[in-house]
Amino acid sequence: MNESMHAVEVRDVSKAYATVQAVDDLSFTVDRGEIFGLLGPNGAGKTTTIRMMLDIIKPSAGEIGVLGGPMTEEKKSRIGYLPEERGLYDDMTVLDTLLFLGQLKGLSSATARERAETYLREVELWEARDRKIEALSQGMNQKAQFVAGTMHEPELLIIDEPFSGLDPVNTRIIKNLLLHMRDRGTAIIMSTHQMQRVEELCERILLIDHGRRVLYGPLEEIREQFVANAVEVDLDGELEEVAGVRRLSPRNGGYRMTLEEGVQPETVLQVLVGMPEVTVQRFERVQRSLDDIFVQVVGHEVENAEEEVA
Amino acid sequence: MRKAWLVAKATYRRRVRSTLFLLFTFGIPCLMVIVGTVVILAQTGGALPQIGYVDQTGRLAAVESVTVEDETLRPTLYTDIGAARQAFRDGDIVGYLVVPEDYFEGGEPLFYGERNPNARLQSAMTTLMRQGMLPDAPAWILNRLEDPSNITYVARETGERVAQGPGLIIRVATPAFLAMVFIFSVFTSANQMGSAVVREKEQRAMEMVITSISPRQLVTGKVLGMTLLSLTQVGVWLLGAVIGIGLVLFGTFQMQDLSIPWSALLWGALLGIPGYFLYATLGTGLGVIAGDKQQARQLAGMLGFLGMGPLYFMGLIINNLGGPLGVGLTLFPLTAPTITLFRMTLSQVPTWQLGASLSIILLSLAASVWFVARIFRAAMLIYGQALQPREILRALRQA
Repeated sequence: MNESMHAVEVRDVSKAYATVQAVDDLSFTVDRGEIFGLLGPNGAGKTTTIRMMLDIIKPSAGEIGVLGGPMTEEKKSRIGYLPEERGLYDDMTVLDTLLFLGQLKGLSSATARERAETYLREVELWEARDRKIEALSQGMNQKAQFVAGTMHEPELLIIDEPFSGLDPVNTRIIKNLLLHMRDRGTAIIMSTHQMQRVEELCERILLIDHGRRVLYGPLEEIREQFVANAVEVDLDGELEEVAGVRRLSPRNGGYRMTLEEGVQPETVLQVLVGMPEVTVQRFERVQRSLDDIFVQVVGHEVENAEEEVA
Repeated sequence: MRKAWLVAKATYRRRVRSTLFLLFTFGIPCLMVIVGTVVILAQTGGALPQIGYVDQTGRLAAVESVTVEDETLRPTLYTDIGAARQAFRDGDIVGYLVVPEDYFEGGEPLFYGERNPNARLQSAMTTLMRQGMLPDAPAWILNRLEDPSNITYVARETGERVAQGPGLIIRVATPAFLAMVFIFSVFTSANQMGSAVVREKEQRAMEMVITSISPRQLVTGKVLGMTLLSLTQVGVWLLGAVIGIGLVLFGTFQMQDLSIPWSALLWGALLGIPGYFLYATLGTGLGVIAGDKQQARQLAGMLGFLGMGPLYFMGLIINNLGGPLGVGLTLFPLTAPTITLFRMTLSQVPTWQLGASLSIILLSLAASVWFVARIFRAAMLIYGQALQPREILRALRQA
């Protein structure tokens, strides 16, 4: 296991409960200084995988290395974790909560106070430092939880649905903090159903379904694999039919063309260029969104999704 | 240990500031002081009222005045009950004492009045009877007759001296009071620990905390914090009780008469403190297993029931302090602190039993911390559900 590269290495890991195979022979790595998307439908095994990485539950089989080896008590101070179903102590003030959780992560009292102030100012919560957690709005609570999970500046941050309940302004604040942490070398594992955030932040992703790996690798490469057999064209002139095009749909002053099976976009471009009555201004392959890919891969509403893309 | 201490501090600070804790801790002593003051005032308050008396024996000397605590009573002697009754109806007197004809054969005097006489008036009437029977006796005899045989008992083996009266009452009552405080506080503590753990599960803070600290450290910290909290509570109650009893008894007896069973109290503390930790740990475990606060409270109630064990069998135990039941409950970790206090106050407890009892409590405490820490990890991932026996077994197997 290479400590300088991989913050997390999961090898052939399985987890079985009495009647359920929650995780099935799963392998992946997460590098330092990257934001890694851990994706999957509800019940796919994401939370179980995270809990195994954190040694909250033990795998039935396989090996997990975290920050260069098995999980230890000492490493807990180098890891940040924000579970999906999270909360803070309602009857404590924001500042007291952060001082307590910061010191549990190994910070001295003075450092915890200093960091709490810095981070609370960054997420615009400093004015609310003496308010009890129960008096915070949902968004403020989310931000306080984020600070609680990151103020010790962990080497590995595991974060489940970090943007739920946040408005666009607060979403941007948290996004910037995550990018800043990544640039500082923190490995960030982000589990979310917000595919737009994954597209914005993640370099690589792992998509699991029924505990198994179904997609894994750099996001751009995955999108290449799922490129739609369609093109969008802006042109001067009218079209009624084009050789090699199965369906021609007018759209925003141009056309979306669904190609026949086996026809390459380059072939259609040559046909269009060869037509004297039209002038091609833009020709672009249709990229499928990660949302579409997710829906297709996990097998839900596949046909509808294809129709939508077409 | 630093992390466990951080958890203990946070637990203590969160709870010690809560309104419920402050009300409970300071409210109970305040209530006791108020009730006690009302009772004492009712017994002693006000000047001695005017009363009359009727001597049907014809053998008592007439008494002009009786002095009690610097107050003087000047009773009116009536020749027959009819005259006394008429004076009472006319409001000349608040009541009248009738000394029956057969008084010297065992007949009891009767007092007729609108309400029962308070303690000072009772004392004045007793003095009246003594003066009536011994009109020529000097004051020193009359004074001594008030308390002719206040015996001090001297233990042959230890030389310990125990005087009758308030000193003896305090000696016997102190362990009983401490045992009751112990039972009450462990019952409260087990209940609070259970509810606190359920609340933490509901607040979903556990999963974040557990990735910063081991379950054993967390359980130790929680138990330590709650125990310190309860010791604060018990400390306030005991201080209140000492001040209250001191005020009530001030001036009524000599301090040298006060006999405190130090040995029993020392062993009570030696067994009581780890015993308290044991209850708090088990209370935590019940909170871990319980699905909601109500279930946690029910389970804590069952635990408290076990702690009250000595009280159910007190009659049997007192009759045979060193018998199998007494020894058994001394060696049972949940009843050892209370039963040992009682036994040591009333008799000697063999040293081997004390040593064995302490060892068993410490071993039980270590085992319960281990057990609760193991199931803690499994339970915190289950929100709103009780931990099933098979899940407990699985958690123990995975340990």
